[in-house]
Amino acid sequence: MDWQALVLSLELASLTLVVLLPAGLWLGRWLAYSEFPGKAWIEALVVLPLVLPPTVLGYYLLVSLGAASPVGRWVAQNFDVQLSFNFAGLLIASVVFNIPFMVQPVQRAFMAIPRDLGEAAAVSGLGLWQTFWRVELPLVWPGVLSAMVLTFVHTLGEFGVVLMMGGSIPGETRTIAIAIYDRVQAFDMVAADRMALLLLLLSLLAVAASFFASARLAVRR
Amino acid sequence: MSEAMSVAGSADRSLRIEVDQHSPMRLSGAFGCAPGELLALVGPSGAGKTSMLRVLAGLMRPQAGRVVVGGEVWNDTAAGVFRPVRERRVGLVFQHYALMPHLSAIDNVALPLLQQPRLLRQAQARRWLDHVGLNAALHGRRPAQLSGGEQQRVAVARALARNPSLLLLDEPFSAVDQMNRQALYQLLADLRQQLAIPILLVTHDLNEARLLADRFVVMDAGRVLQQGTPASIYQAPRNTRVADLVGIRNRFEGEWLGPADDPGWGWLRWHSGGSGTASVVRLKVRDKGKLAAGQNVHWVVPGDAVTLLDRAAQSPGELGVTVTEVRQLAEITMATLGLRDVPGAQLRLTLSGRQRSQLAVGAQMAVQLELAMVHVMPVRTTADAA
Repeated sequence: MDWQALVLSLELASLTLVVLLPAGLWLGRWLAYSEFPGKAWIEALVVLPLVLPPTVLGYYLLVSLGAASPVGRWVAQNFDVQLSFNFAGLLIASVVFNIPFMVQPVQRAFMAIPRDLGEAAAVSGLGLWQTFWRVELPLVWPGVLSAMVLTFVHTLGEFGVVLMMGGSIPGETRTIAIAIYDRVQAFDMVAADRMALLLLLLSLLAVAASFFASARLAVRR
Repeated sequence: MSEAMSVAGSADRSLRIEVDQHSPMRLSGAFGCAPGELLALVGPSGAGKTSMLRVLAGLMRPQAGRVVVGGEVWNDTAAGVFRPVRERRVGLVFQHYALMPHLSAIDNVALPLLQQPRLLRQAQARRWLDHVGLNAALHGRRPAQLSGGEQQRVAVARALARNPSLLLLDEPFSAVDQMNRQALYQLLADLRQQLAIPILLVTHDLNEARLLADRFVVMDAGRVLQQGTPASIYQAPRNTRVADLVGIRNRFEGEWLGPADDPGWGWLRWHSGGSGTASVVRLKVRDKGKLAAGQNVHWVVPGDAVTLLDRAAQSPGELGVTVTEVRQLAEITMATLGLRDVPGAQLRLTLSGRQRSQLAVGAQMAVQLELAMVHVMPVRTTADAA
């Protein structure tokens, strides 16, 4: 059992959420409420990571952010930070890869809010921020919760992008999914077995918990 | 609740709105509403009633227009003034109430009171809910656990909690059953007594509007066609469209024959309904000097200007009729009378009391028209509509 890889995966999943939750709320709300020419292109971009093969996505991330790329060079020069084959690169890849899993449920949840509720909030004198906290967030919360669970579990299990972008450096980029692959390559089926089962149970638990939670929230309405 | 509202004699608390918009949809007209007055915006769906309300609330910006409430300019496109919704003190009861589904009744009402400390907010919200007559046992319930009538009371309480200088009600009774409606009418009547602010009611139910409103603003296709007291509109609709919109049943066709010998009076030839052929009947009615002789006209006569006589016509002022249809309802009888001398024309009367029992289909009777109450309108042409 590679505990280091498990901890690394949990860290990566948590940090991905920290970055993606506010960004996803903002982007999802914006897409739900705004109409503008070219909106379909933005929506397509949001979904793209879902349909692209992970290796392709990982490849482009590597090419655009790696040490040889302009962006990679610039960041390395100015901040002394590498964006590939380390945890930072892994985090960027993970955030990009999870955009559809976070943004789409959030967007749908905002779209489901009846328009007159926002108007009623404005008529009641609520500012945008008050409306967000007191009206919108409580109403989209079930959708946001399931988006968070999806993102978290999905990060734990991601393989292709992580391999392309991070390789398999123990304690730095070797996630639990990579560790399982390594164990299988080494014919250590016992360790692979345990880790796979753990990942399976963890995922099942998280998804089930989110379903129970949304069902309860739905009843309370 | 009245401290803020009764700030001694301060300025003018009335409402004045003028709108002139051509796109994306037509919306034009001007009207006012005095404090304590209840104005009903009536008209078919799509007439622009709700849009007018949205302009007043600030949910819609008109192409051109001006809204002044209580001496404050809320909107003036010419001067570039637009006060956003959240800065207008307006109470709006939405058609489907728009209560927050995740908040209890009391938290919904407390929403406009957010600037106050929590405990005070709750206490005030409770007072408003008591005021609109929502049982205290229901204060903690969410909207989904309340009936339509109860939800409406919560919505009214929330609108009042805003301490509004203008109260807007958008089809507030449409989702409430008849029994609850009566109670809510009473609530609205009580509120009118207590609030010294303009109140606007959007409705397509004319009975409701007549029951509740001091004045009507009749709208159609985005335009204000006529405004005034219900009595004045029913007695003298500006044109046939208004007559149709307010449901005037006794509308007839005719030809204006020109002035009579007495000044202020003129002759009207009654035409048969539909075919427009002249009948032998000539009526001497009020002449306002606006009609040319020979012009085709429509005319209306209110039900209370028609006297039904239980005998055959005797004098020239009486018209022979045949009862063609009688519908007995619980407290009234609706009768349709065919005119002997005007084929195709039908008078519709609502009767109550003693006269009801004498009616039988086929009976030959007579009517007397109070001719001073007859109102003659030109046939509306496309030029009038512009």
